[in-house]
Amino acid sequence: MENYYDLLSVLILLSSFVLVANKKTNAYIKTFRIQSAFIALTAGIMGWSSAVNEGKYDILIVCAIIVALKVIYIPHLLNKTYGNIEYRIEKDFFLNIPILIIICCGLVVFSYFSVSNIGTLTGFHINHQVVNSFSVVLIGFFFMISRKKAIGQIIGYLVIENGIFVTAMFSTHGMPFIVDIGIFIDMITAVMIMGIMVTRINVKFESINIDKLSKLKG
Amino acid sequence: MGLVLWIAPVIAVILSRIVNNTKQLHIISVCASFIMLLAAGFVTNSVVSYGTLTYKFFVSAFYIDAVSIIVLDITITIGFLVSIYSIGYLDEELKHKKTTSKKIKFYYSMMYVFIFSMVLALTVNNIGIMWVAIEATTLATAFLVGFNNDEHALEAAWKYVIICSVGIAMALVGIIFLHLASIDVVSNENALQWDLLYNNAKDLNSSVLRLSFIFILIGFGTKAGLAPMHTWLPDAHSQAPSPISALLSGVLLNGAMYAALRILAIVNRNLDDSGFTGKLMIAFGLLSISAAAVFIITQKDYKRLLAYSSIEHMGIIAVAFGLFTPLSVFAGFFHMINHSFTKSMLFLASGNILQKYNTRKISKIRGLLKILPVSGTAFLIGLLAVSGTPPFSIFASEVNVFLSIFSAEHYILGAVFVLLLAFIFAGIAFTLFRVFYGEPQESQYIRRGETNKPGTAVLIVLMLIIAGTGLYMPGLLKDLITSAQMIIIGG
Repeated sequence: MENYYDLLSVLILLSSFVLVANKKTNAYIKTFRIQSAFIALTAGIMGWSSAVNEGKYDILIVCAIIVALKVIYIPHLLNKTYGNIEYRIEKDFFLNIPILIIICCGLVVFSYFSVSNIGTLTGFHINHQVVNSFSVVLIGFFFMISRKKAIGQIIGYLVIENGIFVTAMFSTHGMPFIVDIGIFIDMITAVMIMGIMVTRINVKFESINIDKLSKLKG
Repeated sequence: MGLVLWIAPVIAVILSRIVNNTKQLHIISVCASFIMLLAAGFVTNSVVSYGTLTYKFFVSAFYIDAVSIIVLDITITIGFLVSIYSIGYLDEELKHKKTTSKKIKFYYSMMYVFIFSMVLALTVNNIGIMWVAIEATTLATAFLVGFNNDEHALEAAWKYVIICSVGIAMALVGIIFLHLASIDVVSNENALQWDLLYNNAKDLNSSVLRLSFIFILIGFGTKAGLAPMHTWLPDAHSQAPSPISALLSGVLLNGAMYAALRILAIVNRNLDDSGFTGKLMIAFGLLSISAAAVFIITQKDYKRLLAYSSIEHMGIIAVAFGLFTPLSVFAGFFHMINHSFTKSMLFLASGNILQKYNTRKISKIRGLLKILPVSGTAFLIGLLAVSGTPPFSIFASEVNVFLSIFSAEHYILGAVFVLLLAFIFAGIAFTLFRVFYGEPQESQYIRRGETNKPGTAVLIVLMLIIAGTGLYMPGLLKDLITSAQMIIIGG
């Protein structure tokens, strides 16, 4: 079982590297969908094993919610929001892609040094999985500040959320069920609100480039 | 009876979705917050008599102790005052065609979603649900910050929702580590229950807990407006409609600080020493006070100035809780109460000023005391109070913070602290006191007199509160703060 988890945690990390290397907004959404599918798979395996061994179905339900929300609904919502916005090719990042990737490698090393030693103290075998998933959180952050478009920031937020969710899965086998549900409700509302705001920003500023949001200072 | 606190705002949200008439919406809002005020009185009474109030449910527990009751009472009292103020404010906006009755409907429903999630955050035992509720407060207020729907408001709302959501996501990482630290101690069904974590704090894994606290402080600190994560705060506070600014400053910031404080208590009990958390809290606190000092003295917009002053006071509260002596924790809670009432009064008064003069620029406002006698007086008294002049209540709590710093023998910290506060006082006096004198500019046609009658009454009540608590502290309040301090310090 641990082998599968190791493999999936690496795949999830890899998908966030792919995300950073993407150039087009459509591709961001696709990569996010793939990453969420991996996460759903992880939750599925974990849920299946806890259903067989302990007779609990919590994690399986969470897995179903992930499929419904993160794999199907949110990418659809983002595509719709993106469709509402007039298509314009703009350079979307501050640094070029190879540099971004190198910085992301640095983030993985950083997260190795900051969280790898905490796992061994508890009963779980979690070291590398937590390192990988925590790196996803950091890369999500970095993705947010490296992109100029508002949609890029929404994706960055979602990747952070994904990373946190996987960290919770690998370190503690998920949060308590009710908390997970609450987090999902918050997340879906947040994405809807951000989607509406992006549309409004596009109307008012005639662009979704957040460089233009710089009137309030001091 | 305690559950009324959850039910009343939910009913208010549902009714404000159904009802279309603006007058009826006002009545619903005032009734709902008045019922909550009564319920809060009842709950306070039972906390004073029994220490804690809990109801067990299938998943989590309704849990109120002295710490939550202080923040809860602030929330509900300010909620009630703001609901009265909003009547006059929104009617005035409607009269000048700045808003529509449809938007007022939206305003009220979002305001009660906010109050509900705030009350939820303060009344649950489970830290995970507390996080969910605090994130919900961001989402509920996002559109309220962007209520005016112009470019500035939209920019503020976007920054607010992005920075706060991401910041609070950090707190979630911290909560996961907290869960990890407690995994051998607390059973899975009771995971993240605050009282269990607190009682078993000694058995938690210290190194994971330390990591967890850093994330939690950064996460909730973002929401509480601690520098350097404060950048959303001046934008959101200045662009939101004034009653909402009052709620953000008086209620929301406290809520985030409350969540951080709960974890702080667990960590300090585990480490048996406040050195680790204290250094972090004091560093963030001092940085906030200095950032605020710099921006206050160069400020041109009075609502932004008030927002920076909120950052300053959150910094003071962080320093007080960071010191973690009985006196400083007492002073921290007292300061929380005083700051909330004073700052809400200032924001409500600034709402009246904004509606009258139609500008946020300090340089365009002259002769305030002549044009708006009551709001002007409230603004003057509020400014004096907020910059720490006696006899107002903020002075009383700031003196307590000084005393606790010096009696803990942190002389350098104390000197820097006093110096920064003096600097801020000078900044506020220098930038804002000129608005009270002189004549309004010829080009502006401004009629004298207050327009927002209910709002004026609210301002008078708030003035009495802040002047009163500066001179005399009711025994009940003192008992409550003392028992809250006992809970946080332990023993």
